Amino acid sequence: MLTRGGKPDILIFAVVIALLSVGLIMVFSASSIMGISDYGDPYHYVQRQSILAGVGLVALFVLMRIDYHVFRALALPGLILSFALLVLVLFVGQGSGGATRWIRLGGFNLQPSELAKFAMINYAAVYISTKRERIRGFFAGLLPLLVILGVKFGLIMLEPDFGTGAALVFSSLVVIFAGGAHMGQLFLLAAMAAPVVWQLIAKEEYRFRRIMAFLDPWADPTGAGWNVIQSLLAIGSGGLFGLGLGRSRQKFSYLPERHTDFIFAILCEELGFVGGAFVVLLFFILAWRGLKTALRAPDLYGSLLAVGITSMIAFQAMINIGVVTGSLPVTGIPLPFISHGGSSLLTSLAAMGVLLNISRQGKS
Amino acid sequence: MKLANFDQWRRVQRRTAFVFVILVLCSLGLMGRLVYLQIVKHGQYSEMAFAQRMRPRVVDPQRGSIYDRNYKTLAMSIGADAVYAIPTRIGDPQGTAQLLAPYLSLSAREIEEKLRSETSSSVWLARKLTPEQARAVRDLKLPGIYLVERPQRYYPNGTLAAHVLGITGIDNQGLEGLEYYYDEYLRGTPGRLAAEADAAARLIPGGDAAFQPPVDGLDLILALDSVIQHIAESQIRAAVEETKSERGVVMVMDPHTGEILASAVYPAFDPNNYSAYPMNVRRNIAITDQYEPGSTFKFVTAAAALEIGIASEGSMFYSGSSWQVGGGTIRNWDGRGSGNITFRQALERSDNIVFAQLAVEMGPERFYPIIRGFGLGSRLGVDFPGEGRGSVVAPGEVKYGETIRWATMGFGQGVAVTPLQLLTAICAVANDGIVMRPRFVREIRDSHGRLVEKFEPEPLGRALSESTAKRLSSLLRSVVVNGGGSQAEIPGYYSAGKTGTAEVPEAGGYGDERISSFVGYAPADDPALAALVILYKPQTEIRFGSVLAAPVFREVMEQSLNHLGIERRDVR
Repeated sequence: MLTRGGKPDILIFAVVIALLSVGLIMVFSASSIMGISDYGDPYHYVQRQSILAGVGLVALFVLMRIDYHVFRALALPGLILSFALLVLVLFVGQGSGGATRWIRLGGFNLQPSELAKFAMINYAAVYISTKRERIRGFFAGLLPLLVILGVKFGLIMLEPDFGTGAALVFSSLVVIFAGGAHMGQLFLLAAMAAPVVWQLIAKEEYRFRRIMAFLDPWADPTGAGWNVIQSLLAIGSGGLFGLGLGRSRQKFSYLPERHTDFIFAILCEELGFVGGAFVVLLFFILAWRGLKTALRAPDLYGSLLAVGITSMIAFQAMINIGVVTGSLPVTGIPLPFISHGGSSLLTSLAAMGVLLNISRQGKS
Repeated sequence: MKLANFDQWRRVQRRTAFVFVILVLCSLGLMGRLVYLQIVKHGQYSEMAFAQRMRPRVVDPQRGSIYDRNYKTLAMSIGADAVYAIPTRIGDPQGTAQLLAPYLSLSAREIEEKLRSETSSSVWLARKLTPEQARAVRDLKLPGIYLVERPQRYYPNGTLAAHVLGITGIDNQGLEGLEYYYDEYLRGTPGRLAAEADAAARLIPGGDAAFQPPVDGLDLILALDSVIQHIAESQIRAAVEETKSERGVVMVMDPHTGEILASAVYPAFDPNNYSAYPMNVRRNIAITDQYEPGSTFKFVTAAAALEIGIASEGSMFYSGSSWQVGGGTIRNWDGRGSGNITFRQALERSDNIVFAQLAVEMGPERFYPIIRGFGLGSRLGVDFPGEGRGSVVAPGEVKYGETIRWATMGFGQGVAVTPLQLLTAICAVANDGIVMRPRFVREIRDSHGRLVEKFEPEPLGRALSESTAKRLSSLLRSVVVNGGGSQAEIPGYYSAGKTGTAEVPEAGGYGDERISSFVGYAPADDPALAALVILYKPQTEIRFGSVLAAPVFREVMEQSLNHLGIERRDVR
């Protein structure tokens, strides 16, 4: 069960540590003012984040040593458990702004949708690697997987948590795509799904307003456009080299979610284009090494698992940065390894552990 | 590896490579976006961010204080908490309004309306909070609701001199009275604080700041003596209540300087809570409103007669039961004539017929300039807003019945004056014939006590020759000694003056209401103070000025002269 020998991809590890370090520094910088005003302690948020980073790193090291094939056997139980938790959170969950996203668990918040992402990717990888060529069939191949994915997405949307739901669908579709699903079927389904997605967006007024605000944030500068405008002002203020670490002005209550979803804007303000581009580069290296790991994996399951994990992290990062830079409509999605928030950090680090294990078993 | 598997593996490789290409494109796109935002748009966005932080804020100056002549504080500025809201920071306007309503003098609906305001970034909810209100609001800890200390006007003596001081509005701007007249001096210059602030307008520590300190307003030092003011107010209050008059006025003036030592109007009001009083109660009618003076005006007619020389103290006149003149009939107050009497007796008894005869004999051409010489019929330029002009017809202005009009003016009908004008006029008699400009304010000083402006006594002109003034003064002394003014006599202070019981003009003639008054000064041979007492529409059986107003004059003058340390002389 333990993997012996085989070197992990050291670049992946280094990038993760680098992102984690940048994250802790930025969480401290962005949250210290808030920590003082809310808890009288500038270290309040960064302290919690450090503990979780430590726990996450332990998980990373443990998973790096456990043969990823154990998750093959856990695919179905994991799927069922994640379904159960997604249903449970609807009843006992807590959250903010009318959403129920967390289950309180001994001082920390467990976010079932985060677990659901990994469970879904793993299940899809197992499913496809078991079906092999039969995935190209529709009823016996693609459809059952899409139904499971659809139900899972639906449950997450009931919380609701559009951002995580989108990440789940996105990374799962990448696995299905990479696994060799029939392109004609995928296009057909995409064409059929478009009106449904539109309905989902148009139905919820706040979501619709966010889309509109993305197209022209200055139409409603104090309402729906506020976040994007403040984010753009923060990024723009940074210039080439930034205002200097800790010298953000936008963090003084102008930019909401400054230590969570919008932390990249504060990073760009304080560290400038150099800092922002460096983070984009780190994620790119991670994606590159992750996909490289996929191509070097000993079997199809390992490949697809690596593709799924990599795309989960990479696309989440791209979407987050896209939102923060005003290139995409506002969606609540954290920046992996950097945003404050326990569940996301733990899942990301744990997933990296699995990816590193795949890399250890890779063919040269 | 089977062929099929090999095919699938190739497909996986191909598609993974495709995913990689997508990620490369995404990364490049985001990099490009960062270049655009941080390098191309850097100048514009950092300027916008700076502009939204550097919100210049007005720093309130301290409004100047108002003191009486002995530096007793009449109006001052104190810090009071005000509560304001930043609507964009409030998530639940309805709930917030309901929580606040019990502590503010606004309904939940009114508050909610303000909280939903979309036109301004911040709105005032209430000012001049009591410490209890401020604590309650602070304890609610509502998001978007903030307290700030602002200077607010406070009148420590409540109603004292309220009609003189006037009122200030919610932004500490003078609205009435001296607060309005001297607003430019009192209000000071606001400072400006341009500093980096967060979205809730709290200052960012270590942020850039440019501070231009406010210049506090200047202080007024009044001629008013708050002790005399208090004497006047309590006396007129007692008299108005006792006689059930509509209202009453007492003014006290220094005849040599024109300085107003007291100006009382009853009913009074509290400027700290002025909105609880109707606007007409807040009018300082002693300055702004004219009335027909009636017999008190006879000292003006007497002065003119002496000055022109048509009468002297001993000149004989005949007063019948009535006198037909110019198509009208003149009667005395008791409907009886006095027969043959001297000029002195006519003034002592306040004989209408004799004074009508004097006016007719002088004629408008000679009488009018003397009336105007006293300052009647024109504004005196007192430092107070809305001064009344009075009404004196010019010769020839009355087309029909000019003779009867001027005949009645001889005893104070058909002419209107403000209380201030009549008092200023009798001060001229007490001041050897020279009219002084009435004044409320003596000095203006800055907040450090340095003198900015001093108002010296200002003569407006000569109404009478010095000898005429002295002769008239002795006649007015006789009114108190031998005539209707006996109730105005003060042992040791020897007052002089004239009573008045004027009929109140109504549409089409004169009605049943009266205005009882007394105007005079003391001591008669060396005047220190002059005073005017008016009771509007008393409801007592006897409404003569000699009975109602003269005793008020006596009380006010006796206490005031005592307070000023004027020595009594032996009672003759």
